[in-house]
Amino acid sequence: MSADTNPSWQDLLDLVTQLNDSNYESASVQFGNVSVRLSNVAGFQDGGAAVSAPVAALAALAAPVAAAPVGIAVTPLAAAPVAAPAAVVPVGDRIDAPMIGVFYRRPSPGAPAFIEPGDHVEADTTIGIIEIMKLMNPITAGKAGVITVFLAEDAAAVEFGQGLAMITVDAS
Amino acid sequence: MSSIPTPDALATELKEDAADTRPVILIANRGEIAVRIIAAAKRIGASPVLAASVIDADSPAARMADRVVVIGASPAGASYLRPEQVAQAAVNVGAAAVHPGYGFLSEQPHLAELLAEEGIAFVGPRPETLRAVGDKGSARKVAIAANVPVAAGVEIDDVDDVQALVALGNGIGYPLLIKAIHGGGGRGIRLVENSEQLAVLVPQAAAEALGAFGNGALYLERYYGSARHVEVQVFGDGEGGVQIFGDRDCSVQRRHQKLIEECPAPGLTDVRRKILHDASRALVIALKYRGAGTVEFLVDTLSDDVVFLEVNARIQVEHPVTEEAFGVDLVAAQLRLALGLDPELPDVPPVPPATVIELRLNAEDPNEDFRPNSGDITAVSWPRGPGIRVDTQIEAGYRFPLYYDSLMAKLIVRAHNRDAAVAAIASAAANTRIEGIKTTLPMHHFVLAHPDFIRGQVPTSWFAPVWENHSNGATS
Repeated sequence: MSADTNPSWQDLLDLVTQLNDSNYESASVQFGNVSVRLSNVAGFQDGGAAVSAPVAALAALAAPVAAAPVGIAVTPLAAAPVAAPAAVVPVGDRIDAPMIGVFYRRPSPGAPAFIEPGDHVEADTTIGIIEIMKLMNPITAGKAGVITVFLAEDAAAVEFGQGLAMITVDAS
Repeated sequence: MSSIPTPDALATELKEDAADTRPVILIANRGEIAVRIIAAAKRIGASPVLAASVIDADSPAARMADRVVVIGASPAGASYLRPEQVAQAAVNVGAAAVHPGYGFLSEQPHLAELLAEEGIAFVGPRPETLRAVGDKGSARKVAIAANVPVAAGVEIDDVDDVQALVALGNGIGYPLLIKAIHGGGGRGIRLVENSEQLAVLVPQAAAEALGAFGNGALYLERYYGSARHVEVQVFGDGEGGVQIFGDRDCSVQRRHQKLIEECPAPGLTDVRRKILHDASRALVIALKYRGAGTVEFLVDTLSDDVVFLEVNARIQVEHPVTEEAFGVDLVAAQLRLALGLDPELPDVPPVPPATVIELRLNAEDPNEDFRPNSGDITAVSWPRGPGIRVDTQIEAGYRFPLYYDSLMAKLIVRAHNRDAAVAAIASAAANTRIEGIKTTLPMHHFVLAHPDFIRGQVPTSWFAPVWENHSNGATS
């Protein structure tokens, strides 16, 4: 690709694919006048079992690194406002925030939500976005099934490991 | 974003409990320093919020904080070392300031810059100061410009020009050190005994420095094989004003890790102390340094030389010895300054009216080559008595995690002079009990009873051979 042209979506996907298997924490790439920032956050899915290289270096003293508790629900100690849907009894599996940030249920203000409760999703369906320091991270369902309820409000501050939504996983 | 309150407004808020408009301090650290910062935040009437990894979300520090926000998974690389995650946590909790503690992101300009974009104060020096003192080459330049004494040294132009290298080496004399200009901390340093080694090690060191720091530039520096580590505590107002809070001796070290620290540095002549304090003052003024910092020196025991090592642009692990010796709260002062308030620090004399000694208790087995260990702490009992302070986050039932460094606690004792302080810390150590995991306490019992330590003024090279002899004697 030429340095003077702006990247296509495919260019960016290729870049992510290329970087996906390598060890880095963050990368910044300039395509013409578009600059792309990528961040590779280790241990999102399993809370720490799959550590990235820099992490492994830090933990090398005590290898093998034990897996951290998976998907711990951590509640702020002080009375944080509890998410509204108290009336709904959440059923199914919980989809947790893979990072701290601000959770958005729609691609832009006023736009329709990615997903409404009751919708069927595939594992790679985007159910929302978490913004961290202006970096937008699409959040996928992770499993195929029906989203029953959202636990986090649109535009809510979320923590690592906080529940975003409940999903009733398809019977296989 | 909440605006920074004036002192009067803050005082008013303290009286009114109803609406919580206290400024929020986000603590982006863990362990004993998180406990320490939370205590300081409470002391100044701010609301401490802890940014924690998953495993630390229910730690003693977390229970002390007003609130906890989980910033990432347990490995530091997925949580405490992520500037974006810390900055986002600060935004989410409406923090007025972020205290980074020591280690982790405490000297990373990137975090300071992310926070500046959000209008949140970074409790530490400005990003440009962090850069100026963050690598050895530029710190050395800053020191030379401020007339601070540095070790004889020279930059290497061509790592493959053996003739030129040998000439540079002979100019300094052996043994000497190869240092990476862009290195920091104890990294990127090699000891060289002669010119043959120099020719071999310089290209290796350049390749390593390129890999580790992204730049292979090196310089050669005179090596002081029998020097003490003495450092000066400074506090700058950010506009060129500076206060000096005495000095600390941190010469009992193992592999560049400090084990015991004391304030004041024992046996310094007035002349030497004045050189150290004046040089530190000049450096802080030149940098318009903001907040707490430490200027580290080597004090040679074989000559009158005193040379600059580096600036630590953060609160240090050993800050309590200075606090206890002078009766000040450096962490509260940091927080006040960051909130735009008077740090409320008094002017103090060069030598404090007391001697304070600190032991670092690490989760390491001194009889197994200081192997780190983790696990459940089953019982803890601390000494009691006048002048005793314990900075820690461990307690009975605490599971010491394996993800982070091994510091468990700092035992600090104050007495009217050094002899009394040595006796008092030995007694305090003897009355300390930690069960469940191995600690460095037995090593401390040995050092505190050693005639060299009791006499004082040991060099940094003292501990390793003395401990090795002791261990060999113990096992044979």
